[in-house]
Amino acid sequence: MTVARQQQSQHLDRAGSSALVDVVDLILDKGLVIDVYVRVSLVGIEILTIDARIVVASVDTYLRFAEATNRLDIARSGTETHGLPGLMDEIQESGGKKKTKGALEGVKESVSDLLRDDDEEDREPEAEERERPRRTRGSHSHRERER
Amino acid sequence: MAEDERACYVYGVVTGDRPDESVKDLPAVGDPEAPVTLVRRGGQAAVVSEVPVDKPLGTPEDLRAHARVLDHLAAQGAPVLPFRFGTVVRDTAAVTDELLAEGHDDFARGLDRLRGRTQLTVRARYDQDAVLREVVTEQPEARRLREELLGLPEDAGYEQRIELGQLVMDSIAAKRSVDALELDRRLAPYAVGSVSEEPASPEGLVNASFLVEDAKRQAFEEAAEELAAHWHGRVRMRLLGPLAPYDFVADATLEGKEGDE
Repeated sequence: MTVARQQQSQHLDRAGSSALVDVVDLILDKGLVIDVYVRVSLVGIEILTIDARIVVASVDTYLRFAEATNRLDIARSGTETHGLPGLMDEIQESGGKKKTKGALEGVKESVSDLLRDDDEEDREPEAEERERPRRTRGSHSHRERER
Repeated sequence: MAEDERACYVYGVVTGDRPDESVKDLPAVGDPEAPVTLVRRGGQAAVVSEVPVDKPLGTPEDLRAHARVLDHLAAQGAPVLPFRFGTVVRDTAAVTDELLAEGHDDFARGLDRLRGRTQLTVRARYDQDAVLREVVTEQPEARRLREELLGLPEDAGYEQRIELGQLVMDSIAAKRSVDALELDRRLAPYAVGSVSEEPASPEGLVNASFLVEDAKRQAFEEAAEELAAHWHGRVRMRLLGPLAPYDFVADATLEGKEGDE
């Protein structure tokens, strides 16, 4: 990613980011596929890919949104962010270790943890039902086609 | 395959006049210690590094390294054609004799069309509190359900909760299409191409990528800043770039695609 260029941007966030979610969105499944130029010498290295395109419109999400809406302190017009919104910010910052894994950023960061450290298998049982990214092994790997 | 066998990871293609220093000291995919180098042929150069073949690729560091090398090249003001993550060939001979030989014309076309242009990506998301406030204000039904639920104990009103949540998400989806259009309307005039996708997170507004000419970049950035100011408090806008043209490289190399100039 690029270095932050602090010009006169006051509202626009120009901070160069190396957040995994940004990188994943930017590069996965993007870029030129070169099979057409090199066939025989492509090497079949196993690629760990992240299937990050999860469906968010679930009952679980509805309930979270209902909860967030109910917790809005409308009379006081929002000086505090308790409840879900605050929690979700926290998830993003802490890399998705919290129980509510709704925000995609959180989910993706948790994948990064998973990739980095396989010992971390003591996942919370409640998380079973939630949307989780699937780590597909080798789905993009080019097999050697020498013959 | 032998355990210490190495192969050649390919990041992308640049013009052959780039100096070797342009990729110096950047961490490589697969093996951070491996040097990133240029392999030249016919006025073009492939950006490569050695990778061990016995280790899967795709850790967060691998993804970052791939993007870092390409974005670094993009920021230097000359064109770069980014390849898909995970492109690995046997050795540098395969790069020169097959890749650069076979692809020469397509790469030349792509490099030519992308000269003086970089990708800028806007990631916009709603401030959750602000957008929920808007929904409750604008939708009497949401207000009614909310008030109904406020009088109920935590574990009651399951169906109303689902109904409220669904109504809120539908309302946000409707806002999303209006706001994404507004973003495109304001920024597309400064770009020669644009691609947008809906973010998967519920409070995401849009991820929009623009191919912007160097001469227009400042105007683009000013328009983005203006929109961010306009939406201040309800939408958080981030601008990434200049980046390698990940979203535009495929079209740029295609024959007879000059129409979208």
